[in-house]
Parts: sequence; structure tokens; C-alpha cells
Amino acid sequence: MSTASARRLNAQNARSGAPRGAGPVPPLVRDRDCYVAGVAGGLATHLGWSPLLVRVIFLVTGLVGAGVLLYLWLWAFTPWAEPTDAAPRVTRRAPVAWILVALAIGGAATAIGQALTTYEVRVGGAVPWIPTVVVTVLLAVAAGAWTSFIDRRDPERGRRTEVAVRLVATGVLTVLAVVLLTGPSAAQSPTVVFLAALFVVIGIGLLYAPSLVTLWNDLTTERVARIRDEQRSAIAAHLHDSVLQTLALIQNRAGASSEAGRLARAQERELRSWLFEGDSPADSDLATDLRDFASALELDYPVHIEVVAVGSSTERASGELAAAAREAMLNAARHAGGDVSVYIEGAATAVDVFVRDRGPGFDVASVASDRLGVRESIIGRMRRAGGRGTVGPGAGGVGTEVHLRFETGEAARG
Amino acid sequence: MAEQITVVVVDDHSIFRSGLRADLDDSVLVVGEADDVDSAIAVITAAAPTVVLLDVHLPGGTDAASSGGAEVIRRTAALVPGTRFLALSVSDSAEDVVGVIRAGARGYITKGSSGSDVSRAVHAVAGGDAVFSPRLAGFVLDAFGAAGGEIASTDEELDRLSAREQEVMRLIARGYAYKEVAATLFISTKTVETHVSSVLRKLQLSSRHELTAWATARKLL
Repeated sequence: MSTASARRLNAQNARSGAPRGAGPVPPLVRDRDCYVAGVAGGLATHLGWSPLLVRVIFLVTGLVGAGVLLYLWLWAFTPWAEPTDAAPRVTRRAPVAWILVALAIGGAATAIGQALTTYEVRVGGAVPWIPTVVVTVLLAVAAGAWTSFIDRRDPERGRRTEVAVRLVATGVLTVLAVVLLTGPSAAQSPTVVFLAALFVVIGIGLLYAPSLVTLWNDLTTERVARIRDEQRSAIAAHLHDSVLQTLALIQNRAGASSEAGRLARAQERELRSWLFEGDSPADSDLATDLRDFASALELDYPVHIEVVAVGSSTERASGELAAAAREAMLNAARHAGGDVSVYIEGAATAVDVFVRDRGPGFDVASVASDRLGVRESIIGRMRRAGGRGTVGPGAGGVGTEVHLRFETGEAARG
Repeated sequence: MAEQITVVVVDDHSIFRSGLRADLDDSVLVVGEADDVDSAIAVITAAAPTVVLLDVHLPGGTDAASSGGAEVIRRTAALVPGTRFLALSVSDSAEDVVGVIRAGARGYITKGSSGSDVSRAVHAVAGGDAVFSPRLAGFVLDAFGAAGGEIASTDEELDRLSAREQEVMRLIARGYAYKEVAATLFISTKTVETHVSSVLRKLQLSSRHELTAWATARKLL
């Protein structure tokens, strides 16, 4: 105890960074590194008393009754301390469930002893082992509740402890019930013994009730998620039928390069990505990034960019390949306009990106040397990154096609 | 193109139907319109058009597992054997698109396509060709594991694409027109069309596990 309280004092001093009494009163919070619930420790820190003293006071007043209420009150209403590096999560050092189980075992042993040794039952009087049985059952149920609601979330205890605690408690209660039913008391006062045994059996049932509650909570959570999903897809279907159709029609009637068509296309793309790509956070893989970039370009230039992605690639949006591809798309939008196709193919060993436009096309050699766009941003960038970039005329000599290739086979970059 | 191609437009939006009708060429004659699954079946069987322009999503479907468009194809294909279906959709979900192709549609174009594009696609479908948009080509490459380097060893194999078919699909996905694909691969446009039709057949007949598994994985729900 003394080392523990010394540790606590050290921790407290380290936290406040000042000798005790000098700074403001530390707030009333429950320390994450605690024995049971951190109430006594937190109160001691707050009042500047010794934790041992606080614990003794709680124990003494707890025997009278008021201390228990105060403890529960503080437990319910005092927040946990902010997580720190030293105590990132709640650590309970006392094995509360096992202590409760041990107490239940003690109670059961006492009750069994009383039941076996009590031959005379006073007529109309209390059966001496009844209070012990009640306390035993309550202790066992408390152990079960503690282990399911509190220990289960504790990675150091978890499900294994839960199952073990419950098994031991069940065993204790079963033995108690069997002894009561077969002991000498059963012959003398069968009704009382039957009721007592029934109470014990109900206690066994209550032991498992917390896991039912947890199961029920899980079910409810799942159902809520499903309802939300269904609602979402209903909204998606509705928007799909109404807004997307209208946007498609606007594009159709307004023409590919008109302002209205452009806005409608950008909106359509945005809405569609929301509808069909789910609410998973947009991971910035290459295809997603280029799609986003395409919709941004469509807002700024009279261009229609179709992005088709095949296969899966580990290429990130932050990579050089993505930067070069964005540059190529920007060039196509700026100088060619109209329809631009972007094709991404991610294989196990290489990633290919094709950007193809149907603009006037241009000859790399004829571009003035002070224009760095193509030479540096695309070809040079790919070469420096260990890939390859080629710029050439599109099929049939129409437009321009940029081909970027990046081998990922041998040297996968971190 | 002396004689007009008869077309039935199936879409649940009257605005879209009238817009499409106005945009289509003179070579295409709209002989009927329908706005849900049941009326579509009635109109198609009565008019027996050459081509049906079919929206993928239609109200009134009885089968929750497939889209209304796929159901229309399944229920009318036997009744009007001469009719070909062209899927027309704003949907980008791979599941819907592949579902309607597997039900028997001869192609897929997006509703953003211009009237002349749609007319051209109608002519292609009426002539027995398949119509692949870049996006559909991308879906197909994905579904057949082309990026993973799977190549069919014989043409008869249904579950994988041959090397040539993959090349064709890749070029289409890159935005090439059939003519440009033909020029790039030094083959005739007719050969390109043959390859595309063969891919379409494989897509419809293949029992490849991924086609269904992958579609399920992308389900909206």
C-alpha cells in the first residue's frame, strides 16, 4: 500500500508540476490507473489527503452505510482523468470480480456449514443460514455483472476472465443449492429450503443475465445500423431516379462544352460518388484521387473526363505517378478540352495510366524549351521516380496520349 | 440506312423519354414507350421493335435481387426473339450494369451520351454488334481478372479473356473508338466487332465466380 500511494503521490506531483499546496486545487477526477474505480484515489488527490486515509474513511463509513452511498455517488458522477501517456486507458489493479467470487465462496462455505449443523429450526423463527445464502447469491451475481460489464472491455482480462468467473460462481451456487436440498434442513422445513434453493437457481440465472444484456445491445446496434443502411439506399434510389436523371438530361440538352452542361456533369459526378461509393472514408488511392481531380477540372474547363480504373493498385495518391497523371489531365483539359479518357490499370507488378484527349495534339520536340509542363512535370518526374512517361499522338493521329508506367514489382516503396 | 429502325424507349421518366425522342436521328423511329416493368413487357411484345432502349432501373420489378431492366429482358427475350436490348443508364454501379448485360442486353451506354451517340449505338446493336462504353470495358476487364494477368489459352474458354480480347477491351477502356482500335491493332473494324461480341458472349455465359461475387461485394446494401 505504501509503495502504491507513493507512486500515486509521485504521479500527482508530476502531473501538477508543482509541490503540493502551491498550485490550485487539482480537479476532482478519477485516476485511470486505479484499484477499483479510482474514486478514493481521485478524492485524495483533490483534497490533498493521503489515499490511505480516504480509503479507511470510506471503509469505516461504508460499514455504517453512508460511505457506500457517497462512494457510488462519486463513482457515477466523477469523470475519468484525461488519458495520458503513462495511463492511456483505464487499468484496474484490483481483480474485483475474483474478490467477489472469493467472498461468495466464503459465504457459500459458511451457509453450508450452518445448514449442516443446524438441526433445530425454531418454529416461526428465522432459519439461520438464510441471510448468508442471500448475501452469497448477491456476491456471485455482482461478480458476474462486474466481469461482463467492466472486465470484458479490459484487454488484460477480457472474455477469458469473464467465462472463468462465471463458471466458478455457477459452481459455487450449484454446490450450495445441492447441499441445501439434500441437507438435514430439507426434511425439517421443505418450503423454506425449496424457496432458498429456488433463489440460488435464480441467482445462477442472473449470473448469465449480463451476457444476455450485452447480446441484446449488440443486436440493437446492428439493427440500427441496418435501418440506417436501408434508409440510405432508399434515399439513394430516390435521388438516382430524380436528380441524376435530370442532370443527365441537362448535360444532354446543353451540350458537352457549355457552362450548364459542365456544372451538371460536376454535380452528377459528386452525387454519384456519394450514392455508389458508400460512406466509407474516401481512401486516397490513385483512382479515387484522379476521379476527384477530374471532377474539379470539369468545373474549371470545358472538358468531359471519363476515368476508368481496372484492377487494384497500392499506388497512393501522394506518389509521383499521381502527380504526373494530374499534370497530364490538366494539360488535356487546358489545351484540348472535349472528351478526355483516363484509364488506370493496376497489376501486381506495374501501374499504367493512360490520359488521352482529342485535341489538336502537339509535338514534344517543338515545345519551347522554357515551357516546363510536359518535359519536367510529366516525363522528367516519372524518370526521376524510376518510372516511364511517354507523350505521343493518339490513335489515328488525333489528339495526344500520355502513357505513364510505374513498375512496382521489385522495389515497393514504403 | 434506308429503312428506319424501330425502337421502344423504356424509362420511368417522361422528361427523359421525350428528351431522348427529340434527340434521336431520323433513322430511328420510336414506336412505343413504357415506364415500368409490366407496361414495358406489354409494349415490347406488342410492337416487337428491332431495338429496345432500356433503363437499368425500373419500378415494378418483382425480383428484388435484380434490377427492373434485367427483369424486362428475361421476361420478354423468348417472346420477341428478333428484338435486341441496349441498356441505357445513369447508374455507375458495376453490379447493375453487369446484371443487365448478363440478362441479355447487347450493350451499355450512359444517359449522358448525346442523341447522335445513342442513334449510332442503336444502329450498331440492330446490326448485331455489341456496344461497349469505356466504363463497361473497365468493368469487364475487372470481372475477368485481366489486371491479374489471367489469359485464356483457347478461344472456347468462357471464364477468361483471350490476349487479343483483353487488348481490345483495354483500348476501348482508354477511350478508343472501334475504328481507332482497329487501326492500332492492325486489324479490321469487323474483327474488332467480332472480339467485342465474343467478350459479350463470355460475359453472358461465363459461370465465373467473381462475376457474381464481385457484383455482390459492390452491392449498395
